[in-house]
Amino acid sequence: MTAPIIQLSNIQKYYGDYHALRDVSLNIAPGEFFSLLGPSGCGKTTLLRTIAGFEEASAGTLVLAGQDMAGVPANKRPTNMVFQSYAIFPHLSVAENVAFGLRRRSDLSKSGKAALVEEALAMVGLAGFGGRAAHALSGGQRQRVALARALILKPKVLLLDEPLSALDKKMREQMQGELRRLQRQVGITFILVTHDQEEALIMSDRIAVMFEGRIAQVAAPQTLYRRPVDKQVADFIGVMNFLPARARHAGDGIEVDIAGLGTTALDGEQCPAGRPQGAAEVGIRPEMMSLLFEGQTAGAGQSVSEGKVVEQYYYGDMTYYDVALPDVDQPLTLSMKNLVGRPVLDRGDTARVAWDARALVAFPA
Amino acid sequence: MNLRAYAIAYLIFLYAPIILLPLFAFNDSTIIAFPLSGFTTNWFVELWETEALHAAVKNSLTIAVITAILSTLLGICASRAAAKYQFPLKRPIMGLIMVPLVLPEIIVGVSLLVVFVQMLDWSLGSWTVIAAHTLICTPFSIAILNGAFQNMDTSLEEAALDLGETPWSTFRLITLPLVMPGIISSLLISFTISLDEFIIAFFLTGAEPTMPVYIWGLLRFPQKLPAVMALGTILVVLSIVLLTIAELMRRRGLRRAGLKDTGGFL
Repeated sequence: MTAPIIQLSNIQKYYGDYHALRDVSLNIAPGEFFSLLGPSGCGKTTLLRTIAGFEEASAGTLVLAGQDMAGVPANKRPTNMVFQSYAIFPHLSVAENVAFGLRRRSDLSKSGKAALVEEALAMVGLAGFGGRAAHALSGGQRQRVALARALILKPKVLLLDEPLSALDKKMREQMQGELRRLQRQVGITFILVTHDQEEALIMSDRIAVMFEGRIAQVAAPQTLYRRPVDKQVADFIGVMNFLPARARHAGDGIEVDIAGLGTTALDGEQCPAGRPQGAAEVGIRPEMMSLLFEGQTAGAGQSVSEGKVVEQYYYGDMTYYDVALPDVDQPLTLSMKNLVGRPVLDRGDTARVAWDARALVAFPA
Repeated sequence: MNLRAYAIAYLIFLYAPIILLPLFAFNDSTIIAFPLSGFTTNWFVELWETEALHAAVKNSLTIAVITAILSTLLGICASRAAAKYQFPLKRPIMGLIMVPLVLPEIIVGVSLLVVFVQMLDWSLGSWTVIAAHTLICTPFSIAILNGAFQNMDTSLEEAALDLGETPWSTFRLITLPLVMPGIISSLLISFTISLDEFIIAFFLTGAEPTMPVYIWGLLRFPQKLPAVMALGTILVVLSIVLLTIAELMRRRGLRRAGLKDTGGFL
């Protein structure tokens, strides 16, 4: 990794007795799209505001672009922020909003500034909107103005505080793509705060998952999804079925005896939290299991169990099933793509579930 | 039907006395009684020619303007502090500031008289009235400005800081323009309150009466009564105009901040 643009070392933040950030250490590389992901109250916004300079860490150091930020106020930091509420100045026009950060740039002529504003607006797809009143904009447009206003200053780091949470689903999906494209285009480090795990997976180069003020795992989306470091992370990112099991070390990996499903071997890489010994839990994602329909046989390495569909959720492109297997406490959730000619089972139907030991991850119980 | 009759009776009870003011102000008789005897503007001319009245009006205007500015300044500080910061005993402190709103003015008048004259040994005059009026107007200013400051999204100020402005330039460029309608509204309302306040002014005015005190003095002379009616007419019109402007300003402020109207004084 090249020299990090942001180095957080042992950041602590207290509000009175409340410990909001617990020993957060993190390096973020230049040009990275980095997400802080976690449930509300996990400290992700506090961390973002600490980087921006709106909160001061109770302890620890924050180095931004090689410079220690201790005592540096928000207006002197090489960061800009897109606020959750967008914070568009309601008494100014769109162009005045976007040009706001250029007020102190005495090296630019008036026409130079106007050209930069027009360029920034074009970049976010709002060319020609400069003369509009800010309060007459739609949610998506305000979002774009906020982006243009922050990006026009060419910050070292752009901070985004749940920027898409106020948009409807369609608009949000569109903006996710646009933000990603924009980030590649300008090459600026983006730090995105979100509670939406899908959004984080789609957009980020790396994700830090936070719970209760501490960072639980920092990883690329695929690693995070496939090899969550503990049960809490696994549960927060997507859906995962957990089954009680007993584990013992075997070679480089483990052998697990899963209640109702039998014994199987896992390699060390399938134990992201270390190899469990004794009581363990085994996790499997819904899409890593499949239903076998009439005439289909299990593939190489697959095990098959027969059970009953207890609930069915039809999503259009996918169908989710809760399948009860004999001797397994809880129904397993699995998902099937609705391909041409593939039947959709109903509640009460018999289901043959095929699963592959390579899809399992094991955690200490 | 009953409800309508009740509403009409209510409105008559409320506004009939005020409607009598202009009626008799233009009536060509020194006796305030029906039937009306004819139209005249003599009473307004008489007002124009009374030197003592001019002094009282000037006195009242000066007091009202200074009071409006002082109480609005105090109101800005208090409501900004209340909106932006958390501090110990915040609610009791804010409550205490608002108390003069419900304190009987006669109590305020008497106790201030004691404090100023007996304890501080000040001589009574415009400044003692200004001090007392600022005391009773500040809660109104705070009530109006609280709305303006609290409706403002705090991330607007953070955004300005984030874009490179200092705390002071942020206040000047963002906060002030956004709460300006509230400030104007506060100035107008405290001006109006001070202008027609009688009880406190009566206690503290000394040798230079304010306009309400002067009017009260006129009541001893029945032949002056129509002139008082004329003066009252002018005051009513002025009050209505000022309060209307104040309310329009408050609504404009809400619109600017993109918010729904949730009450207000009028």
